[in-house]
Amino acid sequence: MKSLRRDLSANPQAANVTSKVFVRSTKSGKVQKIVRELYLREDIPCSSKLCSQCPTIAPADANGNIAPFILSDRPAGTTAFPRGHYLVPDTNALLNGMDLFEHTGAFYDVIVLQTVLEELRNRSLPLYNRLLALVKSDEKRFYLFFNEFRRETHVRRGPEETINDRNDRAVRLVASWYGSHLQQSAKKGKKEKSIPAIVVITDDKENLRKCKEENVAALSLSDYVSGLEGSEMLLDMISESKDARDAKETARGELFYPEYFSMSKLTTGLRAGTLHQGVFNVSPYNYLEASVKTAAFDKPLLILGRDNSNRAIAGDSVVVEVLPKDQWKSPSTKIVDEEAVTRNDNPDTEETEAVVTDRERKALQEEVKKAHGKNSDGKPQPTAKVVGVIKRSWRQYVGHVDSNSTGSQASGRRQQNVFLLPMDKRIPKIRVRTRQASEILGQRILVTIDSWDRDSRYPTGHFIRSLGELETKGAETEALLLEYDVQYKPFPKSVLDCLPSEGHDWKVPVSKEDKGWNGRKDLRDLLICSIDPPGCQDIDDALHARLLPNGNFEVGVHIADVSHFVKPNNPMDLEASVRGTTVYLVDKRIDMLPHLLGTDLCSLKPYVERYAFSVLWEITPDAEIVSSNFTKSVIRSREAFSYEQAQLRIDDKSQQDELTQSMRTLLKFSKVLRQKRMDAGALNLASPEVRIESEGDEVGDPLTDVKTKAMLDTNSLVEEFMLLANITVGSKVYESFSQTALLRRHATPPPQNFEDLQNQLSKKRNMELDVSSSRALADSLDRCVDPKNPFFNTLVRILATRCMTSAEYFCAGAFTESEFRHYGLASPIYTHFTSPIRRYADLMVHRQLASAIGYEGEDGHAVIEGVSTRNKLEDICRNINVRHRNAQHAGRASIEYYVGQALKARGEKMAADGVDAGIEEEGYVMRVFENGVVIFVPRFGIEGVVRLEDFVLPGESGARSVAERRELAPHRTTEFDSEEYTLRVEEKGHPEKERSVTVELFQKVRVNVSSVKEEGRGAGKRRVRILVTEA
Amino acid sequence: MSNQRQASSASQVPHLSPAELSYLYTSLSLPKNPIRPDGRSPTQFRPLSAETTILPGTNGSARIGFADGTQAIVGVKAEVEKTVLAADTLDSRSLAQHGDALNREGEQGSAAVSGQGEWVQMSIEIPGFRDDDALPVFLSEMMRESLVGSVAGGNGDAVKEMAGGLKGRLVINKRWHWRLYIDVLLLSQPLAYPLPLLSLTTHLALLSTKLPKLKSTGEEDPFFDDDWAAAEYLYPRSNISKSLSAAPSYPVRPPVTLLVISVGDNVIFDPNREEIAVADAVLAISVTRSGDSETLKLLSIRSIDPPSRLTQPGIPNSENVNMLGATAAPGEETGGQEEVEGVWRPRRGGVKRSVIARMVKTVLGKGGVGEEVLEGLEGVEVQ
Repeated sequence: MKSLRRDLSANPQAANVTSKVFVRSTKSGKVQKIVRELYLREDIPCSSKLCSQCPTIAPADANGNIAPFILSDRPAGTTAFPRGHYLVPDTNALLNGMDLFEHTGAFYDVIVLQTVLEELRNRSLPLYNRLLALVKSDEKRFYLFFNEFRRETHVRRGPEETINDRNDRAVRLVASWYGSHLQQSAKKGKKEKSIPAIVVITDDKENLRKCKEENVAALSLSDYVSGLEGSEMLLDMISESKDARDAKETARGELFYPEYFSMSKLTTGLRAGTLHQGVFNVSPYNYLEASVKTAAFDKPLLILGRDNSNRAIAGDSVVVEVLPKDQWKSPSTKIVDEEAVTRNDNPDTEETEAVVTDRERKALQEEVKKAHGKNSDGKPQPTAKVVGVIKRSWRQYVGHVDSNSTGSQASGRRQQNVFLLPMDKRIPKIRVRTRQASEILGQRILVTIDSWDRDSRYPTGHFIRSLGELETKGAETEALLLEYDVQYKPFPKSVLDCLPSEGHDWKVPVSKEDKGWNGRKDLRDLLICSIDPPGCQDIDDALHARLLPNGNFEVGVHIADVSHFVKPNNPMDLEASVRGTTVYLVDKRIDMLPHLLGTDLCSLKPYVERYAFSVLWEITPDAEIVSSNFTKSVIRSREAFSYEQAQLRIDDKSQQDELTQSMRTLLKFSKVLRQKRMDAGALNLASPEVRIESEGDEVGDPLTDVKTKAMLDTNSLVEEFMLLANITVGSKVYESFSQTALLRRHATPPPQNFEDLQNQLSKKRNMELDVSSSRALADSLDRCVDPKNPFFNTLVRILATRCMTSAEYFCAGAFTESEFRHYGLASPIYTHFTSPIRRYADLMVHRQLASAIGYEGEDGHAVIEGVSTRNKLEDICRNINVRHRNAQHAGRASIEYYVGQALKARGEKMAADGVDAGIEEEGYVMRVFENGVVIFVPRFGIEGVVRLEDFVLPGESGARSVAERRELAPHRTTEFDSEEYTLRVEEKGHPEKERSVTVELFQKVRVNVSSVKEEGRGAGKRRVRILVTEA
Repeated sequence: MSNQRQASSASQVPHLSPAELSYLYTSLSLPKNPIRPDGRSPTQFRPLSAETTILPGTNGSARIGFADGTQAIVGVKAEVEKTVLAADTLDSRSLAQHGDALNREGEQGSAAVSGQGEWVQMSIEIPGFRDDDALPVFLSEMMRESLVGSVAGGNGDAVKEMAGGLKGRLVINKRWHWRLYIDVLLLSQPLAYPLPLLSLTTHLALLSTKLPKLKSTGEEDPFFDDDWAAAEYLYPRSNISKSLSAAPSYPVRPPVTLLVISVGDNVIFDPNREEIAVADAVLAISVTRSGDSETLKLLSIRSIDPPSRLTQPGIPNSENVNMLGATAAPGEETGGQEEVEGVWRPRRGGVKRSVIARMVKTVLGKGGVGEEVLEGLEGVEVQ
């Protein structure tokens, strides 16, 4: 018998076809062998401007244009490559040094291979996306070369060759092909002199060796960077390479953390229900305590201690295993601050490290003790340990270098390990290797986490850049924006190109024949006005009311017609959808839409004609809605009021003009609507917000700018009609788009969320909180009144709000209709329609509504594509939910920072007069821990942790400095009653009642608020300190 | 109906006259050295050409073409499947690994480790036949039973992997297994009974079959290496040296099924259609090499209804009305029972024990046909 294999070598076409074979495991458990045929071609250009051949062969698009060539004909040179060079990085180089490649000072003219890009995608999706962004942007001149498709550079995998070796070979082949290709095809005259070197960047030693053998110029990333200017800063931006880590591991091999389960073991366990997946949430009060909310259980599982949290970082998607019952514990009643507990760790010497230091162990033990307490609140709860990480959500972190960790020879240029203390307290310290420790000390710096290995107590990261001196306005604002992932870069040109060419001169067309008037109602005669916070520039909404001949009233809400200016899927729309919302900081506004639109063309400014999207109701004098109507319109606002101005005008009996009358009508209706809403069970929630009204005078006391939000009738006037418009539009949109309507829901919170608060209320105030429905909750919240303490009710409302879930945008198809309910507003359906200038969701709803009412647009065909596919909508919802939350957090953090700065400024002024006495205020106890309390100061809308040393005991000397007070801490002892929520602080050996302070939950206390410099710890870090002066 | 009957018998009956059948029978039953129509020796196979791994999308595939133009292609596909445990397979044996938390629910699953025959599915497509016609069904069952029935003995690492035979090899863990789909496609009309062709092709296809490399361990849900080059052969090879000259050796091989006929006292291998038409007995003998021992192992013998029973009998001159009076007296009653030299009679009755014994011996014996075939197949370069 003979074997007869067909011989393909004679076939000239055979070389052009090859295939790629791999195994694909699908989610459903199928395992498939996939064969992809590759047809190799010779017309993929090298994209070098030097080349004379490729422009003639490069494939052209339908219009006969070929893609512009990217690689410069005069690439930058270095000392090693004076004639210029193109870089060819391999995958590891990109993995270790993506920040370098993004750096604007170097790394131009880079050839990114398809092979490398695909490998990178398998290794790290975020890095892959960053690389793609680099390839897309023009300025860095990154060229994506499809080497696998070009015949000359395609590499067939040899027998016994690993994928890595094959890919390395592909990189080398491309480098040598580029070299010879450019040699041949470089334009005449340029030859010899200026053929750039092709430099392979690889961190693989074996690859470097082979490059040398094959005469391909190759350097490791660090060697290459060393040859550049400013190499010290650049070198810090390289991730600690895997090799170095491997070497370390073999050298020491001491492992602190248990290994993660294998992926297959995780999926088996998840499917079998023995393991659970969820997001790792670290407690803001205790860095050793985290919780994971899983689908299987109503309450989150507790994760206590470093061992159990096993290298998970806040935000990671983790898999946990429930611990045996004897290890169950109650949540901690102690404030544990990483900075305080591990202050003396040394980043360089790891020998003494144990995962759980003695101090940490002690902290844990005390919690175990608590677990055996008998009260219902503190009964042991299921705990779990992290056994695997599904997805890291590591990002870039802002922080500052721990000055204690820099060591004594901080002046030297030597590379050293330092600890970075992230701004976010839930993130552990990050060990960073740097050569510029002395420079970055005292600065806000941006770092990223590279890895967290089993042999290291802390994650390892690398330096990206410095934002500037700590506590300077610029650095702190940028830090805040980075920390909350707010896009703050100016709008790119492509976005600005989408603006109307007339700019500020744009006007509503005079002639009604103009296409701009298509489908628009002329509402210019209506007496419309807007009511907004003082100084508001982006006016989203305006209102009117008038008597109809039949005795009913017509009420209209007019919303800026942003969708007229922002067409779907153009760069401006995409940018807005990424930004999601406008972010308001104390002294800065980060717009979602370019300035021109937000504050002028869209803004419903008074006295000028503007396009609007109007909702018109016919309402009976009893505020029953007869009908509602939606239309695109042209309006002319008669006046832009601030809330106070409007209120004054309404209250002023002498004003009897039509506009004022209509405002009074609106006010009357709004009160009826509000009452109806309350009757339906809407919650009146409170948030601890203050606003900053800076009048711009530098001399005055900055603290006077801090104002708690005043609620005027006019506030609620606007609010009620906006809610009404949102609800009306929500049901209209849902009617037309049962699957894709963009709505907003607020899920009914599970009753167990309120358990703690219910316990506390019944214990301390003998009050009941009925959470069976929103109506019941609203009523019982109304009953929580302490006649002696008017703020008590607000405090309870703040706490109740924290027990609830947050509202979210969603796409109608994702939930059943019964789940659309907005719990807080007690409305069966809700959406956001009224602020399209500052929220992307509203813009989407505008488009949907326009389509629902058959508005055909200027050119006769309405474009709602991009609003109609559910997948895309769900992506958008996810993004805007995150952005929305981040924007809120950023806004709050900004206010907090402002308050801190204001206190500091005040303190400095006072200090000039002698002593910084801080400011006396009222505070309320929000939480009681074993070693401190959390106090809320309504005046500034801040809450702060008060530690033992910050209790001013009766008869104590008035030492106020941080250092002095810290000395007090060891001398103090506490008596904590977790059932009664009381904490008694006394000096050791002085148990006399007169010399101790007892605080309890909800108690009103006198506090002294000041901004203090942290001493002994991180340089120049400030915090708002609250001293309890009188209980 | 007649078509049905043909289909179930060894082959369509060739259109030979009784006289031709008789001639053929006589020459094949010549004592010691029968004369075959194509001049082959009794144990000689027809020349064939073979290649493997011709279908890139399959886990393994092969093509064999006989010189007479019959060709077959076999593709093997494997799929991961959850093992469903029937209540009666419950077994108290516990093979569970100790301390594996994931095993807590797996107590009932130990019986599954042995594998089940139904995990191998075979479908045969023959032009002109429906897939539920008797011939394809019969053929596939005949080949499948020897496949799943073969259990390797002996020892050695590779053999251990094959303990429990093909069935055992398909077990991933207690909860998961591979399901094997063997699709056999006959490309031409079946000129002869296609069993040997299909069996040899299936054999080669199975040898070239690879399964993705398992990365998970124990009772976890299976998780595989996505590199196809790392995939492992279904039938493990002992010398992994990839030098092309040295043919790999297989400690365990899939069985082959050979077609043997007896004509008179003669035993003839790889019969063509005409030879089958006159056979006394047609046997399908499945053999395999067992473990590392040199001897072959008999897996099954199936007798196939020889078509010779369906042929028209010849009429001796004595009975021929045309010849009436020429040879014999009209009143003489021969009853058509007696053998008349040179006149074809459909075969009746059984085959002698000694003939069957010789057939088996010729296959199994040292240096016998079975060995020769397997060696020949080994010569085919399997990638």
